[in-house]
Amino acid sequence: MNGTNHNGIRIGYYICHCGHNIAGVIDCGEVARRIGVLPGVVVSRDYKYMCSEPGQELLRQDIRAHDLNRIVVASCSPLLHEHTFRTAVEDAGLNPYHFQMVNIREHASWVHTDHAAATEKAVDLSRAAVMRVRHHRALTTTRVPINPAVLVVGGGIAGIHAALTLANAGKQVFLVEREPSIGGHMAKFDKTFPTLDCAACILTPKMSSVRAHKGITLWTYSEVAKVEGYVGNYTVTVRRRPRYVNEALCIGCQECISACVYREPKFPDEFNVGLGKRKPVYIPFPQAVPQVVVIDPDRCLELKTGRCKKTCVDACADRNAIDFTQKESLEQIQVGNIIVATGFRLFDAKRIPQYGYGMYPNVVTSLELERLVTSSGPTGGEIRLRDGSAPRSVGFILCVGSRDLKTNRWCSRTCCMHSMKLAQLVREHTGADVTVFYLDIRAPGKGCEEFYDRSLKEGIQFVRGRVAEVTDWALAPEEEGKLVIRVEDTLAGFVRRIPVDMIVLAVGMEPQSDAQSVRRLFNMSCGTEGWFLEKHPKLAPVSTFTDGVFIAGCCQGPKDIPDSIAQAGAAAAEAMALIDRGYIEQEPNTAHVLDDCCGCKSCIPLCPYTAISFDAGSQKAVINEALCKGCGTCAGSCPSGSITQNLFDDDEVFSEIEGLLHA
Amino acid sequence: MKITRTIKYESDRVKGFCDEIMRIPGCDQLQACIQCGTCSGICPLSIYMDYTPRRVIALVRSDFKNEVLRSHTVWLCASCYACTVECPRQIRITDIMYGLKQRAIKEGIYPRNFPIPVLAKEFSKMVLRKGRITETLLVMRLFLKANWRAVLGSWRLGFGLMRTGRFVLRSERIERQSELRSMLTGKNGGNGGIPKEKS
Repeated sequence: MNGTNHNGIRIGYYICHCGHNIAGVIDCGEVARRIGVLPGVVVSRDYKYMCSEPGQELLRQDIRAHDLNRIVVASCSPLLHEHTFRTAVEDAGLNPYHFQMVNIREHASWVHTDHAAATEKAVDLSRAAVMRVRHHRALTTTRVPINPAVLVVGGGIAGIHAALTLANAGKQVFLVEREPSIGGHMAKFDKTFPTLDCAACILTPKMSSVRAHKGITLWTYSEVAKVEGYVGNYTVTVRRRPRYVNEALCIGCQECISACVYREPKFPDEFNVGLGKRKPVYIPFPQAVPQVVVIDPDRCLELKTGRCKKTCVDACADRNAIDFTQKESLEQIQVGNIIVATGFRLFDAKRIPQYGYGMYPNVVTSLELERLVTSSGPTGGEIRLRDGSAPRSVGFILCVGSRDLKTNRWCSRTCCMHSMKLAQLVREHTGADVTVFYLDIRAPGKGCEEFYDRSLKEGIQFVRGRVAEVTDWALAPEEEGKLVIRVEDTLAGFVRRIPVDMIVLAVGMEPQSDAQSVRRLFNMSCGTEGWFLEKHPKLAPVSTFTDGVFIAGCCQGPKDIPDSIAQAGAAAAEAMALIDRGYIEQEPNTAHVLDDCCGCKSCIPLCPYTAISFDAGSQKAVINEALCKGCGTCAGSCPSGSITQNLFDDDEVFSEIEGLLHA
Repeated sequence: MKITRTIKYESDRVKGFCDEIMRIPGCDQLQACIQCGTCSGICPLSIYMDYTPRRVIALVRSDFKNEVLRSHTVWLCASCYACTVECPRQIRITDIMYGLKQRAIKEGIYPRNFPIPVLAKEFSKMVLRKGRITETLLVMRLFLKANWRAVLGSWRLGFGLMRTGRFVLRSERIERQSELRSMLTGKNGGNGGIPKEKS
């Protein structure tokens, strides 16, 4: 070992086998031997699991026994264990920043098949770290207090649950919802699988508690416009669209709706997915929260032409809740954590033209059927064909816009169960023959397989095969006037033509159309499919790569109601863990301005965190360490090289490069 | 090469067939089938069948009566009950096979010279008439009706049985046959359940 007399720098180097993860590809013993001869390296070892307690103890013992003052560990990603090793190093009496981690798992053994070359790469990366760590300075972390308020974005079942959980724990919550009422998709459902309990009966009490809770500020018809700051201290700007009704004054009596100059509801009703009609002034659905009417500016005569009799205003009388002068407003709030629960949108069935949605009137989507089944729907719970008669046979086509490389490749997870639920309801309501066309029945939740069994026994026909086409071209007398499904019955072993009266397309889930802009707004990532990306698929399913921003519900991927609730609760707990600790420990990787700053101010507009200001007295730039996130933009752009950044000093970075190039 | 139309129209189904089969005792769980194919996998004879047991269930469930009754699957079933034992949904597949056999015989659609339906018919006929079966006579009838040439091939076996005294040509019967007849008439009606030949 070559370790004496290098300005007192005594480096310990450790390479982890990580079982076979690293040692299966990289010759760890060889790496340890070659790093051991570098100047300054006193100890160089390979060990099976460095992150294990004995592995950490090895570090601590060596630090004491060999008087080490710099540590390098070559193992997995710093995301996983940098904190572990920094703590171990600190326990042994060193400054935690006298430590450097090398990622030879994700960056070498997992991505290479050539063992010799991977070993060589591990040596290069390790050498770079060893040369860099010599220049590390002792640093201290700073603590920043956390604002205990939380913003929940999206008022579906996930957002509602997260908001209530936090508010019940005494935290202040801002719940922002884009639609005029909270409730999301769940409010549109009739029953919930597999228990068949009424969706409204279990959802509306939660919606009312949101309205009534003192800890929750509910802003519907609003969207987040801007997010600034960092974990613990976000400043959020919310755009509140005008509903032309004063929320504080409206009592939801709906007199204005009956008084509207449009005698009959005339415009497609969004809540009933276009199956029903509403007036320009409306309340989305009977249990809407808040119970406040909204005026549609694209339909209202007064707002469009300014020449209406305004019978609604007369009806409102003394309350004076209607206010045509309302304008869009921007409100700013301070929160410490954000929970994003923006949900999903349904696949547009028109994208699969062979199923005839939009062409044949009796081809409907599963959500449309849901509105027909429910007693609060446009038909009062009667399942009717477009001509008003009851269907005698109904076919359900599953995986519409799911498990298909031409549309969406993922399984939407809920449509099998959702369709079986609707199939049971259709049988219950109409006694019609029901046939379900499926690829696989996926019923993995609690009680779901039992529900499938029940569906089978209730006489619902299951035909395995992906429906090729839906046509109204009759080839046989019994097909006259019906929609014919052409499919291979893969279990019976032949192609069949099956005539039915009504076809229900079980449309899959997709990311919201504005998922990309929402992602940028909250500085999150998306997977290739467009769902918001969790920090770790197993270990951090509700965290994102931005601290203090959590995700819950279907914005993260398709899931059913129990899973959405579970995630919402988890996200609330994660936020509370931060709030109740009270502070954030900030990495000391902040930038600072050197004395030779010439005061050119070029760094000030570049800083994405507005951490840099100009000190008129000294004529120099000043960086607010509490705001600096260590992105390095200013250090890289300073024309006079007068900004440096902790952990990324010039000598550290140049030594690292030198180590990489040194063969 | 013969090319035939294989597509099935709605009119190829005989609506209500599945319900009828399900009413036969032991067949009521038919609809719970998840089409896993365990029955076909375990069946020692499925390798000779035109439709595997799983497919028979699928066809019954979809009311494809003619396809099921014309298939020779049910006639190959040896009633070993392996499928019934293994079925994850506890469907009594062997009972369903019996139900289908009975139905096929009743409707007169079954392979006339196939040994299994012949044996089934002769067996039950003999039991109903005499109250007991005489194995040698039953085997003789089976051979004569199914494949009389096979008798010639089995002469050595016949001699061996005769020599050891196991080839008895005397018909065995129970005493008081009339009582059995009246019992069966009480239960089955007509002439004691002895099926009339349907041509």
